[in-house]
Amino acid sequence: MSNKKVGSVLVLGAGIAGIQSSLDLANSGFKVYLLEQTPAIGGVMAQLDKTFPTNDCAMCIVSPKLVDCGRHPNIEIITNAELGKVMGEAGNFKVEVRKNPRYVDEDKCTGCAACTQNCPVSIALYPVEKISIILRKDDTIKVDAILEEYKDKPGNLMPILQSISKEYNYLPEDVLKYISQELDISLTKIYQIATFYNAFSLQPKGKYTINVCFGTACYIKGGNRILEAFERELGVTMGNTTEDLMFGLETISCFGCCGQAPVVTVNEDIYGHFRVTQVPKLIKKYREVESAENNA
Amino acid sequence: MAYRCNVLLCTCTMCVSVGALKIRNKLEEEIKKYNLEDEVQIILTGSSWLCTKGPTLIVQPDDVVYQFLKEKDIPNLVEEHLLKGRPVPSLMYIDPEELNPIEKLQDIPFYHDQRLIALWNRGIIDPDEIDEYIARDGYKALAKVLQDMTPEDVIQEIKDSGLRGRGGGGFPTGMKWEFCRKNPGSPKYLICNADEGDPGAFMDRSIIEADPHSLIEGMLVAAYAIGAEKGYIYVRSEYPLAIKRLDGAIIKAREYGLLGKGVFGSDFNFDMEIFRGAGAFVCGEETSLIHSIEGEPAEPRQRPPFPVERGLWENPTNINNVETLSCLPRIINFGAKWFAGIGTEKSKGTKVFSLAGKINNAGLVEVPMGITLREMVFKIGGGIPNRKKFKAVQTGGPSGGVIPESMLDLPIDYERIQEAGAIMGSGGMIVMDEDDCMVDVARYFIEFTRDESCGKCSSCREGLDAMYEILTNICKGKGKEGDIEFLEELGEAIINASMCGLGKSAPNPVLTSIRHFKDEYIAHIRDKICPAKSCVELIEYSIDQEKCTGCFICNVNCPTNAIIGEKKKPQTIDKSKCIKCSVCKEVCRFDAIKVE
Repeated sequence: MSNKKVGSVLVLGAGIAGIQSSLDLANSGFKVYLLEQTPAIGGVMAQLDKTFPTNDCAMCIVSPKLVDCGRHPNIEIITNAELGKVMGEAGNFKVEVRKNPRYVDEDKCTGCAACTQNCPVSIALYPVEKISIILRKDDTIKVDAILEEYKDKPGNLMPILQSISKEYNYLPEDVLKYISQELDISLTKIYQIATFYNAFSLQPKGKYTINVCFGTACYIKGGNRILEAFERELGVTMGNTTEDLMFGLETISCFGCCGQAPVVTVNEDIYGHFRVTQVPKLIKKYREVESAENNA
Repeated sequence: MAYRCNVLLCTCTMCVSVGALKIRNKLEEEIKKYNLEDEVQIILTGSSWLCTKGPTLIVQPDDVVYQFLKEKDIPNLVEEHLLKGRPVPSLMYIDPEELNPIEKLQDIPFYHDQRLIALWNRGIIDPDEIDEYIARDGYKALAKVLQDMTPEDVIQEIKDSGLRGRGGGGFPTGMKWEFCRKNPGSPKYLICNADEGDPGAFMDRSIIEADPHSLIEGMLVAAYAIGAEKGYIYVRSEYPLAIKRLDGAIIKAREYGLLGKGVFGSDFNFDMEIFRGAGAFVCGEETSLIHSIEGEPAEPRQRPPFPVERGLWENPTNINNVETLSCLPRIINFGAKWFAGIGTEKSKGTKVFSLAGKINNAGLVEVPMGITLREMVFKIGGGIPNRKKFKAVQTGGPSGGVIPESMLDLPIDYERIQEAGAIMGSGGMIVMDEDDCMVDVARYFIEFTRDESCGKCSSCREGLDAMYEILTNICKGKGKEGDIEFLEELGEAIINASMCGLGKSAPNPVLTSIRHFKDEYIAHIRDKICPAKSCVELIEYSIDQEKCTGCFICNVNCPTNAIIGEKKKPQTIDKSKCIKCSVCKEVCRFDAIKVE
């Protein structure tokens, strides 16, 4: 085989994989036809917030590639199109492409998007499945009471979630779905709020939440050492709960108790002038309280 | 019924954390024992005195202060002072220099230079009793405003007083109100920003816990001036006691006809509600705060339009800090001239600071503007504990910067602090001594802002991440040449490209510490040493064989059994097992643990 680059390549699907392949091929000198079924390239990744496992921002990765792809002289993008027939053999294929009509003069369209905003019919590309959820009876009563209180107030989502969090100590998934259904707020919106604020947790919390204050005064007086000591003692890292759901370990940005730094709280109890050596004693104290309760 | 003597027991969050409630029970018990119930009254106050010396109490009318109270001290105290009238010197404040007990409150240097305006009633009244507030001229300013002044008069009065926003920005309050009043939009809203997110700041919490009615009265005055009928107080959820007291105060004020329809029988209507935050630092930024109340994620938006033009639910909204609002009743009562006579040329009045960190007298301090940092740290603060050397003071929390010893004579006002590279901020002031590594502290602040960044601007989200990584590497001894320059460049870029106050100020702690403590960065990067002996990866623990008595306490407490040796003989540390947790150093009574 000679090393001379000949012919052209057809890439099917303009998701992140298709885009990257097209760019690599085009940079190697091939003419690339990038075929995409939907009206725009980008695929699913362009709709994501973060990517696994590094939590990198999805759009930050994909958007420069979209631009490169659109401007590359060797890439011809064919959107809103489907593959028809493939004929021939390796090295020399002939392909039939069916291009769906856009009903828009592509030469004149500037992409100002005014038409999409004014279109009376909206069709979601990936339709969301409608959920229907029924809670256990006692849960329904609890949640309904909360919803009733805040139902007609504007901006009620935060107080509702705070009440739910107080009731359950976390935000159970079913309850969130139920709220979404009852108030007709999208689940995405609820998750957005629930994951934005530190006060909300989607995981069950321990019976006792140990909060190590990480305010500046507490930090310079050894707050991080105290956190490490708790991590060692409980065998869990910050932000997690022990397996028996007894202790949750968290940090808080400041209790405003800087005069007594370093400070640790367990649920409502506050401990000032805390020392690393007090850690085992504190855990023991709560375990004893717990076992006394169980015996009673 | 008149009591012979009042016992003012501080029950702020801090004093409660060290057992103030147990003291109260014991006090009641002992007073009962001596049948003094009709003579001695216990009053639970809020956030009063030297927070670091809690629990504290004051006996009036003698004005004697007691500190570091323990349950076992109470019987003696009640018998000696309350029954027999003899003050107990062993429980009094001890001067760190002279080492003599000081009896009277006014004689303690910590209080001597303070001037109380926003904290007018601190530690004197029971925050749950509206009548006690009224007895101290409470709601007099409101009556004056409603009877004798038009809203324009009130705005002019505040403009004349020179009051500037105490939340950190320092924008003239009167001007802000005028913009809001003149805006044709309706209805107008008033929001009190009590989302005190700065780590190391507790002014707002203390004001609310000690004197919630001052805030309510201040809000009423402000609402009257701008023409608002509805107010919100946005309080952090981390302050349960403050929320409880404020809630009680609002209910009481409604009962007294001070809130609701027709305040004081006039045609002015105003009511307020508490909005609990949910733990997001960025809510301190006013547009984020508004989004949060609207039930949206607390992301800021571009200004202008400012909230006074388009704020909550797209209506004109005036946002003031707790301290700003709490000053108002005094300004109205005593007049703008009186207030403008305090402070410096451009910064009028007093400012509340929360002094904390490595300092003898940590606590809440209200001083006239223009006082120097040196007075603040060494006179009011009483200097650094354990004869350590002063290194720097950090002002303004994660948005502020560090001020080194060479600049201690700087007078505190908005402009001068800014010139030093730091900011006044809401008033957090953390003192650091020679044991604090400036690189590590900078890393700590970036870690905080990185976590709290809402993620809207990529410069802040990604930039702080990158800064954090570099600083962590420097702290681990993996710093490279050029890191300092890169941090500076990155910091500038984040400041220039971010939209809200968080991003615009987040690199400040790094930039100021590079400016004032560059040698510490260089020591970490080039010599791989931490001069303050604080960065775990760059230090080693060992035991001074001469000082160690073999008391075995370190051996017992070591979590990894890294300390080896026989009883009554000097111990040694197995460095392969040592995790540098510092437990041995903390338990050693002979100062035998060396860190190098």
